Amino acid sequence: MNSGTKRSALIIVGMILLVSLLLWSGVHNRRQRQLAMQQQPSRAMLMPDAAAPAGAMGGPDSGDSVTPKLQGKVAPAFTLVDLDGKKVSLADFKGRPVLVNFWATWCGPCKIEMPWFEEFSKKYAGQGFVILGVAADDAGKSVIAGVTKKAGVTYPVLLKDDKVEEAYGGVNYLPESFYVDKTGKIMLETAGLNDGSGGKDEIEANINRLIAVGGQ
Amino acid sequence: MTTLLALILLLPAQFGTLDAVPSRAEQFISYTAQQQVVPAGKRAMLELRFRVSDGFHVNSHMPKSELLLRTQVELDPAAGVKTGAVIYPPGKEFSFSFEPKEKLDVYTQEFVVRVPVEAASGSHELKGSLQYQACDQAACYPPKSLPLEVHFTAQ
Repeated sequence: MNSGTKRSALIIVGMILLVSLLLWSGVHNRRQRQLAMQQQPSRAMLMPDAAAPAGAMGGPDSGDSVTPKLQGKVAPAFTLVDLDGKKVSLADFKGRPVLVNFWATWCGPCKIEMPWFEEFSKKYAGQGFVILGVAADDAGKSVIAGVTKKAGVTYPVLLKDDKVEEAYGGVNYLPESFYVDKTGKIMLETAGLNDGSGGKDEIEANINRLIAVGGQ
Repeated sequence: MTTLLALILLLPAQFGTLDAVPSRAEQFISYTAQQQVVPAGKRAMLELRFRVSDGFHVNSHMPKSELLLRTQVELDPAAGVKTGAVIYPPGKEFSFSFEPKEKLDVYTQEFVVRVPVEAASGSHELKGSLQYQACDQAACYPPKSLPLEVHFTAQ
């Protein structure tokens, strides 16, 4: 075998290796995507780590809709009007643990959580805990009031404006909850309702963590 | 050798397609306009075919609660075309796993909406939108509007 033939043979071997590598990586990537799609139905997410992969929980279009954008940051200030027309500001609860929950009248999972929130708002009131519901809804005050009454909600429910939705990352995936600690920072963001019995227990565990942050 | 080189040059394009990241288009339903032909001057039926993204559902046109937002086609008036009341398919029963007793009426996967028309001879285009609100297994998304363009020929 002369040197020219040897060089050609080496090139062909190299090309075959390259093609094999490309084929393997394509098949591997496809498998990973299929696995990810199979896991898609349960989208409820706790977002404890701000470094979670972007888009891990988004819809087909919403790559960044539920990634934890505000976790660890100071909660955006807001002043909204409650169902009685009274102005309520997040700043009114400075130094207290606050759960800001975005919901809507057309959101079934949101309405499951609301009676749990009512229970927890009473159970932990002695520790300064407050829940503020924000209706991310265009349904109108009377419809919103009807739903909250049916759910037995007595904690403050506020009517959204565009600014608060924008400040809290767009609120494109409901329910969304922001656990604001006593220092005013967002300890945790969650989106969606977890399947199974873990949902309520997880929320209570998060509330206990929130109350513990910054001392009693 | 030439064939092998061509194969290697083509491969990146092929794998680029396989690895393409899904579009960020803000919709959970897709609609593909299809050219349709109807008899001119006679009542006929146009079909609008929609596909709901896998893992999602949208309320049907007749959801079981007045609080839920129905799926609805809205069409603008067009010269030479009379449209009748839009005909919606029945939904399928669905319950969230965390609330199995509450039965919802939803569209999943594919559904077809029919539009009665009576049109003058020629090519026509109906513009409008599909209003809907989608949820997955754990959460719901704000109401959306999907632009529609329905092309058909009356002859």
